[in-house]
Amino acid sequence: MPTNRIPKIFLFLFLFGGLASLSFAQQNAQALFDDANEMLQEGNYQQALSLYQKLEGQNTVSGALFINMGISYQHIDSLGIAKYYFLKASQFEETEQQAQKALEFVESRFSRQSAVLPKLPWDIATDWLQEHIGAKNILLIGIITLNVGVLIFIAHWFVQAYPNVLRIAGLSLIGAALLIIASSFYTQYISERYSKAVMVTEKVSVLEEPTEEASIVSRAYEGYTFTVDHRQSKSEQEWAYVRMSNGLYGWIPNSEILIL
Amino acid sequence: MRKIGKAFYTVGFVLVFVLLGSPFSWAQSNVSVEASLSQTTIYTGERVSLSIEISGNFNNVSRPELPQFENFRLLSDNPSTSRSYSYVNGQSTVSYTYSYYLIAQKKGEYQLPPVSVSIDGETYATDSIPVNVIDQDDSATSGDSSGQPDIFLKLEVSDKKPVTGQQVITDVILYFRDGLEVNSYQPVPGWKAEGFWKEELENTGRPRAESTVLNGIRYRKARLLQFSLFPTKSGELEISPYKIVVAVRSARSGNDPFSSFFSGFGSNQREVELSSDPITVDVQPLSPTDDATYIGAVGNFDISRSISTNNALVGESIEIKTRVRGSGNIPLISKPSYDLPEGLEIYEPQENTRLNRRNSTISGSKSFTDVIIARSPGNYTIPAKTVSYFNPSRAQHITTTLEPLTFSIDENPEAIAASGNSGEIPVSPITGLASWIVISPNPADLLEIWWFWPGLIIPLLIVGFAYWRKSYAEKMQTDTAFARSVKASDKAQQRLKKAIEISEQGDIKQAYNLLQKAITGFISDRLNMPEAGLSNQDYIEALKEQDIEENLVKNVRMLLEKCATISYAPNTTHAYLKSHVGLAESTLEKLQKVL
Repeated sequence: MPTNRIPKIFLFLFLFGGLASLSFAQQNAQALFDDANEMLQEGNYQQALSLYQKLEGQNTVSGALFINMGISYQHIDSLGIAKYYFLKASQFEETEQQAQKALEFVESRFSRQSAVLPKLPWDIATDWLQEHIGAKNILLIGIITLNVGVLIFIAHWFVQAYPNVLRIAGLSLIGAALLIIASSFYTQYISERYSKAVMVTEKVSVLEEPTEEASIVSRAYEGYTFTVDHRQSKSEQEWAYVRMSNGLYGWIPNSEILIL
Repeated sequence: MRKIGKAFYTVGFVLVFVLLGSPFSWAQSNVSVEASLSQTTIYTGERVSLSIEISGNFNNVSRPELPQFENFRLLSDNPSTSRSYSYVNGQSTVSYTYSYYLIAQKKGEYQLPPVSVSIDGETYATDSIPVNVIDQDDSATSGDSSGQPDIFLKLEVSDKKPVTGQQVITDVILYFRDGLEVNSYQPVPGWKAEGFWKEELENTGRPRAESTVLNGIRYRKARLLQFSLFPTKSGELEISPYKIVVAVRSARSGNDPFSSFFSGFGSNQREVELSSDPITVDVQPLSPTDDATYIGAVGNFDISRSISTNNALVGESIEIKTRVRGSGNIPLISKPSYDLPEGLEIYEPQENTRLNRRNSTISGSKSFTDVIIARSPGNYTIPAKTVSYFNPSRAQHITTTLEPLTFSIDENPEAIAASGNSGEIPVSPITGLASWIVISPNPADLLEIWWFWPGLIIPLLIVGFAYWRKSYAEKMQTDTAFARSVKASDKAQQRLKKAIEISEQGDIKQAYNLLQKAITGFISDRLNMPEAGLSNQDYIEALKEQDIEENLVKNVRMLLEKCATISYAPNTTHAYLKSHVGLAESTLEKLQKVL
């Protein structure tokens, strides 16, 4: 009997220990967040930010955290960084609306606005998939669809009723599943290769080559958003290859931007 | 009143004392006493003039007290004297010069001892003068005067093995023989010192010619120009030849060494272009240091940092000034970078360089002014910063720590009134409970998700299995021979079972009949033979054609014969049949493997 109990005890300890540590981390995060909020309400933005950054550094995040960080940075007039955190907050369902309001306000405060080229439909679809479903979930849907399609297709070999319907339905589902799986990999590839970035310094030149002496493509100002191409930027540690919102491409120092 | 009057008199007395005393002390501090020799390299037995020049604002001066000159003979204790008087910008200056003649007696390198002079009761002493006395006979035999030019230009550097960035003083020196007079000189423009950053040094006064002896020939030499060169890289660097055009003429008398430099135009004047030889300098690399602290300075410096104010309002500018003072490569010094706290707006730093080119060295200061503006109230601290420079004379990096700077920023009331409520962000901070998620710094690769490969492979396996089942079912329906062959064993087993049942009921003959059908049916099903109309011999032959083991065929034949002859057996029992059924089962099992 005792030998049978040992694995159960281990399982209990493992589950209890894991849950307890997760719960402790969240409690600790909440306590730190409360302290930071007090600082923020007292107007000690620097101290509040240092606590918020501590939380962010622990990879324990929430939409509320990013909203409050954005508000703190807005108070110390770092509008570029404020925009960056409001964009992060907009990725959380519970803070999406507030983040959008804050973004509208911050955008109106920038001295220069960037022209925005409309996105291609395919890019819009990929962005939507990436933001609302995620590559992993798309893959799961694809795998389930594939299995269902295979079963329906097999059924037409053995079930007498409506064999043609079963065959066509099965093949259609398999085809759709392969497309879904392919799109999950494409979404993953796009999300790994490209990232959105916000310019957080006052002004910088976007250059043709990753050197200070290169000719200027355009000038960028605080709050401009870019699409960073990580594959192109891989060869340069200090520089990022970016696509500006007006469609121009160029190099920009990493120190000038924050990547979402 | 009395007290005030007393204080007034006291202050007045002090002022009178100071005013009376100051000219005295000023005059004392402006007296200079210098000794010079007409030549510092002389032959044995040659006469040389020692001049002691006393200048300044003074009242009484005594005759110089000469020390005991070893290896030199003083020609006369009575010097020739000269006196001059000048009045410039309301300041009068008197200059006395005492000249003595000495004769060198013994070759060698000596230091002419200091000469002391009493001026207004104070005793002053000159510096000692280095003298090189050479033997006239030796120099005449060792020197090859025939190959020596009458006039030439030479570059002389202060250090031939400097480190990168070290200041190297380079003199452009003109050598010319006695008997030549140099009236003017003009540098040829375009001199480049590749690999160096160069600065021309300022020298007050006109070049002075000094006597010297080279390879037994008496020359006079004069430093025309002086440069500071700073090597910008390590390795062997060549200082290219310096070119100059001089106007010279032959002098009738060369006895006076000072008279023949810029002494005026003569009838036999000509212009000569002179070029120095190049000089190779072996520049050593700097010893490795922490790049984050090194500011590119090489020399001797004092580095400091200051802040314009420790308290300001939001939006007001604050200046952080970093100053580097000393001698060395001042223009090449870069600004130390500071870790500024967040919330500060930083503007382009201003640089200001002040160079002093006098005193045969580049000195001065370079200052960097960072202008910062705080956008929110609070206390800020710019942390301490360690900076380093290289000191060539000590051959090591010198590290200095700049103290941290703290300042406080208060809310600007005017800015608050101006901003009003319209500038408020339309979102309030979120307080209270938040829903936390722990994000993974490295998102998982899709191919590494545990269910991905099973999710793909399992449906493929299912398809394979289902296809096999479907094909099997189709063959069973369409291929009779295959269906008979597959079912042969089951059919035979059923017949054998039935035979035992009938035997148990007492009908032994019928049971043997079923046993025969089981065997022949099995063989005909497996070999796709007609189900009826064949003799036992046909089955045996068919088995032989399949190259079946002899014992197996023998068993089949025995069983079939037993079934055919059982009708004639009088007392056949159930047990007997059961043994034959057992044999039939084992035989059919073996046949199934080979057919």
